[in-house]
Amino acid sequence: MTSKAMSLSYLQGKNGIFSWIFSLDHKRIALLYLYSILTFFITGATLGVLMRLELLNPGKDLMEAQTYNQVFTMHGVIMIFLFIIPSIPAIFGNFFLPIMLGTDDVSFPRLNLLSWWIYIIGAIMALSTLLWGDGPADTGWTFYAPYSVKTGTNVTMSVLAAFVLGFATILTGLNFIVTIHRLRTPGMTFLKMPLFAWALYATSWIQLLATPIIGITLLMITAERVFGVGLFDPSIGGDPILYQHLFWIYSHPAVYIMALPAFGIISEILPTFANRTIFGYKAIAFSSLAIAFVGYFVWGHHMFTAGMSGTARIIFSVMTFLVAIPTSVKVFNWVATLYKGSINVQPPLLYALAFIFQFMIGGLTGVVLGALAADIHLHDTHFVVGHFHYVMFGGTGFALFGALHYWYPKMWGRMYNKLVANIAFVFLFIGFNMLYFPMLVLGLMGMPRRYYDYLPEFHVPNMISTYGSWILATGLLLMFGNLIAGAWRKREPIGRNYWKTGITLEWQTLSPPPVSNFDRMPVLPKNGPYDYDNKPEIEE
Amino acid sequence: MALGGFNLDLFVSPVLPHSLKHLNIMSNQKDLKTEGKKAPEVHISSYKDHFNTLLALLLLTFITVAISVFGANLRSLSVFTALLIATVKVIVVAYYFMHLKYDKKLYTWLLIIVVILFVSFTVLTSIEYLNR
Amino acid sequence: MGMWLFLFTEILLFGGLFIVYMVYRSLNPEAFLMASFELNVWMGTTNTVVLLVSSMTIAMSITAIQKGNRKLSIQLMVLTLVAAVIFMVVKYFEWSAKIEHGLFPGQAVYDNLPPGESLFFFLYFFMTGLHVFHIIIGSVVIGFAIHRTAKGRTTKEKYTLTENAGLLWHLVDLIWIYLFPLFYLIH
Repeated sequence: MTSKAMSLSYLQGKNGIFSWIFSLDHKRIALLYLYSILTFFITGATLGVLMRLELLNPGKDLMEAQTYNQVFTMHGVIMIFLFIIPSIPAIFGNFFLPIMLGTDDVSFPRLNLLSWWIYIIGAIMALSTLLWGDGPADTGWTFYAPYSVKTGTNVTMSVLAAFVLGFATILTGLNFIVTIHRLRTPGMTFLKMPLFAWALYATSWIQLLATPIIGITLLMITAERVFGVGLFDPSIGGDPILYQHLFWIYSHPAVYIMALPAFGIISEILPTFANRTIFGYKAIAFSSLAIAFVGYFVWGHHMFTAGMSGTARIIFSVMTFLVAIPTSVKVFNWVATLYKGSINVQPPLLYALAFIFQFMIGGLTGVVLGALAADIHLHDTHFVVGHFHYVMFGGTGFALFGALHYWYPKMWGRMYNKLVANIAFVFLFIGFNMLYFPMLVLGLMGMPRRYYDYLPEFHVPNMISTYGSWILATGLLLMFGNLIAGAWRKREPIGRNYWKTGITLEWQTLSPPPVSNFDRMPVLPKNGPYDYDNKPEIEE
Repeated sequence: MALGGFNLDLFVSPVLPHSLKHLNIMSNQKDLKTEGKKAPEVHISSYKDHFNTLLALLLLTFITVAISVFGANLRSLSVFTALLIATVKVIVVAYYFMHLKYDKKLYTWLLIIVVILFVSFTVLTSIEYLNR
Repeated sequence: MGMWLFLFTEILLFGGLFIVYMVYRSLNPEAFLMASFELNVWMGTTNTVVLLVSSMTIAMSITAIQKGNRKLSIQLMVLTLVAAVIFMVVKYFEWSAKIEHGLFPGQAVYDNLPPGESLFFFLYFFMTGLHVFHIIIGSVVIGFAIHRTAKGRTTKEKYTLTENAGLLWHLVDLIWIYLFPLFYLIH
């Protein structure tokens, strides 16, 4: 093979849609995921903007109450199952895990492609509910029995869609676990893996083990609807709270599927822009495993007002406080990483800093909700809505944006306009906080969630929130527009280590990478993945 | 569903279009830990081993049924005993038929962790119900 | 390793159903007992024995291929499939008997069952049905393993598919080992 052919980037080579949608190359599959996931994100975000329009003023503004129920259900289903859960692992995990491990693909490339196809099928199923019958489900994304069994809307299809999507998640998790165990380059022990890989490892175990539970639960709901049987019907000896148990046994670990990869992204961005090694590598690595583990035992905190026994509530509350500890370990380590670093302020760093600020708010409000006495008043209010948007959007969402800006030059060999990126960031940051902070206030004032109308005393914060959504939407348009426009910006060719201070293995290969990931044997730094004292010299 | 998933990879050893072989380093197809050493000795269970395992399992089954059919007054204790014997059978199947005894210890540990996880779900849920 | 990871997901999948069973049995102990009398212990025991034997035959088929004995490996896998068929025939008789008695969800007798008993039967059909589904899938995988061995693509050195088929089959056996006492042996 000539060296020119060896360096053929994964974007070149075979062309045409079939070479993409049937590709076994993890990088192409990652981009397939990227484009589909971002499309669904825009869809879900549009639904969110519509909700905020309805909530701008009390009373009916745009839609009936029933429609509002369907809108927030779709918003949740799309954002959670089609966007957040796959996002970072499927896009950046697929693209960068093999490269960071110094190998040429995942363990099961065919399974990887199949995962994407299953994802698309599930997505089509979920979106199809908009088009027929009584319309999309109106139960909330949580599909609580007994209403989910009785309502005439398209619950069965939604639930089956989630079931199918679960398979995609499981297969991705399986693939990553085997890849991490089997394919690390010689010399890379577990404790020499980048922290993003550790994050993906912990996430993959949750994906693998938690998802089947919701699979079977949703199958039970389907069976109930199809056979007219009440598995969760008290009149025949059943218990609706059992549904909630089973649902949350998955759905709580699911939020760690959302959070852990984002933590991994931050652990990658900060050393690069502080030009020094990460503080407390082992602590961060093991805290990922600890969060995954303890996160399995806290699910009851979603059910404090459902009717569980007092003993159980106390246990779940204590476990919830415990799970906050490893997360705070990470936050301290990240801040310590920045201390006395040589800080290079670039767009990815801005998103990482916003992440730390916003995730802190989200995490701390979570601890508030974990306190039994407080939760009695705050459950099902907008405080909860504010909390989870701070962690999922202000946290994972911003981490995703940061990753896009961080790895953009590597993935496409081009660069976006940094000034526009910074302006977009300002819109996003201000818009985000204006949109969600008032919700924390509204919740404390007593405004319930999932209501399309509210009392006049809640008007002002709701207005601020809606205006914030417009600023946020502007920021999103600016940001995505800028990233897309980067495709047409012709500047000088992008070198291997665009930020100059990247140290993980992806910064040693070409931008964009060749099909087989490396054109030269990757060189491991001597003392670990962030060994800035012994940074290998990489010539272009 | 899952059938298509893992089947696709079991068929043909995935021959990738490219591998790092062209860089004169190991292809990702081989297990890195065993590269350079001789192929490890694979333990082969004998036909007799398997037959004896079956006998043990049949004996345990017989005991379970006997207790249930003839020990009708044990009630709740019989559930516990039945589950206990079932668990022993499962361990026997996993250890011998599924070859865990001779595989890497990692697999046994992973299985134990998964089982502990599931048991803790059961226990936590039971605690909730029993304390109402 | 991939196969073991997949088996873990199956443990959790059926595990969810076992949790439902456990909760409802503790809430409706008498009803579960009454309902279980409908089940035939001897048919259940036969099926248990059949599956245990089939686990042995598939394990032996791996021994056979490890020793290079392709023909014996195929024969043992075929025996495993025969056992699968026997299991499903017995199951068919069990199910049709119940359906004849109107006990399937949606039928008249089922709808009028006392509380708790209907839960038992729903779980019975759901869990054994899901189990049979996995028997079918397991059989298909064994079928592929037979095909590959016959074509000579499975060899003494490389028999991953047979191994994986075996693991999947053992899982099917394991699930039944728990299903059997929980449904048939409540006395």
